[in-house]
Amino acid sequence: MTLSEDVDSLVESLHPLEVTVINQLSSQRETADTALLEGSDLDAARRDMACGWLTEKQVIECVRETVRSVVRLAETGESYALKGTPEARIVALLKRGDEVSLGELATTLELEQAEVGTAVGALRKSAVITTGSGGLLELVPGADLSAVEGVTGLIATVHEAGSIDQDDLTDDQQKLLSGLYRKRGKSKGVFRVDEHRSRSYQLTRLGDAVAGRVRDRVPTEEIGQLTPEMLADGSWKEKSFRRYNISLRPPRVGVGRKHPYRAYLDRVKAKMVAMGFSQMKSPLVQNEFWNNDALFMPQFHPARDIHDAYFVAEPRHSAPIPEPFYSNVAAAHADGGNTGSIGWNYNFREMQARRLVLRSQGTADSAHKLADGADVPGKYFSIARCFRYDQVDATHAPDFFQVEGIVLGDDINFRTLLGLLKMFAKELARATEVKFLPAYFPFTEPSVEMHVKHPTLGWMELGGAGLLRPEVTQPLGVDVPVIAWGLGLDRMAMVALGIHDIRDLFSSDLGMIRSMRIPQ
Amino acid sequence: MPTITVHRADLERLLDEPFEADRFEAQLALVKGELDDVDPETGEMRVELNDTNRPDLWCVEGITRQIGIHLQKKTSDYAFLQQPETPTREIKVDAGLAEVRPYIAACIARGVTVDDRLLTQLIQTQEKVCDVFGRKRKGVAIGIYSAEKLAFPLHYEAVSPGESQFVPLGLDEPLSLEQIVQVHPKGREYGPIVENHGRWPLLRDDAGVVLSFPPVINSSTVGEVQVGDKELFLEVTGTNLRQVVLAINLLATNMADWGATIEPVRVCFAEETEFGREVTTPRPLHRQVTVPLDDFNKALGEDTAVDDVVAALSAYGYQAEATSDGVVASVPSYRDDILHPVDVIEDYAISRGYDSFEAAMPSDFTVGSLDPLERLSDTVREQLAGMGFQEVLSNILVGREELTDLMELHGASLVSVSNVMTASYGVLRNAILPSLLRVERESANAGYPHPLFEVGEVAIPTADDPMGSETRMHLSAMMAHAEANFSEMAARLEMLCYYLGWEHQIEPTDHASYIPGRAARITIAGWEVGLIGEISPEVLENWGITVPCVALEINLSAIPE
Repeated sequence: MTLSEDVDSLVESLHPLEVTVINQLSSQRETADTALLEGSDLDAARRDMACGWLTEKQVIECVRETVRSVVRLAETGESYALKGTPEARIVALLKRGDEVSLGELATTLELEQAEVGTAVGALRKSAVITTGSGGLLELVPGADLSAVEGVTGLIATVHEAGSIDQDDLTDDQQKLLSGLYRKRGKSKGVFRVDEHRSRSYQLTRLGDAVAGRVRDRVPTEEIGQLTPEMLADGSWKEKSFRRYNISLRPPRVGVGRKHPYRAYLDRVKAKMVAMGFSQMKSPLVQNEFWNNDALFMPQFHPARDIHDAYFVAEPRHSAPIPEPFYSNVAAAHADGGNTGSIGWNYNFREMQARRLVLRSQGTADSAHKLADGADVPGKYFSIARCFRYDQVDATHAPDFFQVEGIVLGDDINFRTLLGLLKMFAKELARATEVKFLPAYFPFTEPSVEMHVKHPTLGWMELGGAGLLRPEVTQPLGVDVPVIAWGLGLDRMAMVALGIHDIRDLFSSDLGMIRSMRIPQ
Repeated sequence: MPTITVHRADLERLLDEPFEADRFEAQLALVKGELDDVDPETGEMRVELNDTNRPDLWCVEGITRQIGIHLQKKTSDYAFLQQPETPTREIKVDAGLAEVRPYIAACIARGVTVDDRLLTQLIQTQEKVCDVFGRKRKGVAIGIYSAEKLAFPLHYEAVSPGESQFVPLGLDEPLSLEQIVQVHPKGREYGPIVENHGRWPLLRDDAGVVLSFPPVINSSTVGEVQVGDKELFLEVTGTNLRQVVLAINLLATNMADWGATIEPVRVCFAEETEFGREVTTPRPLHRQVTVPLDDFNKALGEDTAVDDVVAALSAYGYQAEATSDGVVASVPSYRDDILHPVDVIEDYAISRGYDSFEAAMPSDFTVGSLDPLERLSDTVREQLAGMGFQEVLSNILVGREELTDLMELHGASLVSVSNVMTASYGVLRNAILPSLLRVERESANAGYPHPLFEVGEVAIPTADDPMGSETRMHLSAMMAHAEANFSEMAARLEMLCYYLGWEHQIEPTDHASYIPGRAARITIAGWEVGLIGEISPEVLENWGITVPCVALEINLSAIPE
């Protein structure tokens, strides 16, 4: 492309804002960006946008950039300008001879305790006041009050001027200022210092050529927006369309969409249904009976400790547990009942069984399903919100989802358990390589832990499973073998969502939620 | 589940052959162990043991025992576990202990000189067994002493807390048991186990020298094992005799693995126990299980041969014998985790190796389905997303203030947690709107408008529900922007109800969270299901939100199908 063709296509694609800017610039002298506003109807934002586009196209260049720091009073400063700084007010109080202790200071001066603390600390440090007998604050005779007065003076100066160039302050004032301003943070500062940038522009050589062409151009009317009127009366036919610069990246906009982690769980749900599983649900609040006892976790099991589950304050206990489940489970724990087991050999306590907890494992849903009458053959899943008594951190959320379920049938055994797990590996983790390792869960025997080779994450634990113990199934009235399984999908989901902190799955930051991609 | 440190040197000493970390890791399936970390410099390996019912495996001795038996280098055949020998030493037990801590078992291990390695090992085993199996010493506590200094018989007695004095480990002066519980760190930690009883346990020798105040602290005179000791006295106290015996059995087998000779001790109880009045420990637990071959076949999904079963169980430490239709398996007395024949079946599968089983697909056909409420929720979510709302996902455990004061709903009834860890996670939410307001509060920097929604669970205290509360599925939607107003949300509600075929009505109402005159009750098919309205400026101010918000909240569980 020749220079002339280059210029032609550039000129054609110019936005009206760009034309406005070009017309005000020259290649011989620089023009300050403030001046650009004066001779046109541009506002600062549109001007900056147009200058940005033109700089990118190398039509104009920035030849000077100056940064000016402007000092203003922050909200706290404004109030100090009226009432005086806490330091000055304390000094004034003491000068008057009032007797006051540190504890009374906040009330006397109507200040926040924290403000008083900071002020007294600073005054003590600079040896302006001391604590005398009886805890009363005293002014140190002949103390150097220049700092306290200097700040008061500076506040007054800025207050009067409204804003002031930082460069215009004396060295002493600059020093005082440095401890008392904030840039943008939330902490309380007395002053606010804003940086004002100003730029000066000049046309480039290319810009000169473009400007010439723009000025010489026969003013034909260009269409910006095509309108219904133009279409109705055909007037578009006499006009030319201004070319857009379509290579510019558009801004991101907020759109209606599902939460990406929910979308991931939706896909898991769909997969489970596709594999023939039906969904189970049970309440957030459970008694320990369904949460633990029915799963043959002895009442002295460490995971049932006060430090591992959340207990409900009021009411503390559920209604009595329905029969025959209560008696059957109690017997299985005490001496095995008629399950063929010797049991855990202890006194099963009804009130502990009725103690209310926030569901700590999704397996509680399975226990309910078995007792309520599950289909044989039957496959069930739940995506249950669970709660654990853990310090909330990058790997522990206050509540989280567990994906769990059961499979009942006459053909259920250790080999079909492995087959089912392999299907999960393939369908949910796209993994074909799996490793099965012996595991321990109180409610299953044999128990398996499945590790899979995930296409991007490498070897990882995908879940645990096993055949439910007869001490679990028989008391609930189930006489066929049952697989219980649970999957750990969070790690895969987090990688897919590009996050490293489990709390971010439940983020309250809309910017972050909008930025998360759909997990694949 | 316990995590322990294993030294490669100990592993190799016990197995009497070189053992690389890789090979060790491959063998860990036998003990349900996972290798977390290896330090090639020191030879230290961190091993996590997953079976909370096998305290015998929470030490290098137990792990190498299980591996060694499988490699046919070791046996589970310990003479002192087969049948009690005649002991020469005794412990006399006071009847007064019945309420507080009635049982004790003990043995002497001689012939092994304690070195640094063994001492570290002993302490680790003691800690893991007491903490996890012994439930922080409540069920089981262990004491180890230099036996040379003790005058037998020993006396395990109940004493009154103020009377007896001794110098506890870590201090220089004698204290009464009562003082120990008040001032000694271990006393404060473990004192509560005995505190509610009138008389507390004390173990002393025949000369009156105190060994320990179980389960709290040993004495500093004889209660500290040192490098160079050649004869150890080991004792276990607890509340369940079987557990106490199991613990002494596994300690004795560990010492025997290092080459010690185990000398049993006779414990003379004041009353009959399940093992008699005089119990010699260590002793057999006599757990024998008969498992029909058919049970193996059904559970494992294949035809097993009885000889294979016997061989695999023997290679796992059982004494197994074939019968006409199955096996009789005797469990080694250092473990007591076989509650049901299925436990033996799992051990057979582990011994054979899980890899040796061929996976098969269940052949039963089942039709999958979503819960009806879930299906409704999904439809609602699709509609809202289609209307341009961003779905959010919030925690259900929240701070009380968010649901009450910030919403101008003071004193609302909530499902609250009794053992609160932090106030921000103290109650279950009873509505979703506060979750959306939290998002708005955190998101003033995100480009406006903010159309948000969430469908999720809430909990409502309900006196006549068996669990005292009801879990409901709620929808809440909110629009936050400079011109948010009632009619735009009402229009969305209108369309939602239209598409879902819900006959709905809205009637003006007053509600503390909404602007008076700009709030309405929503009824669907005659059931009151929710609220819609402009959020009151007080509420917005409480949250620190500076844009107008209009919202609705609907209880989806209340909508008739």
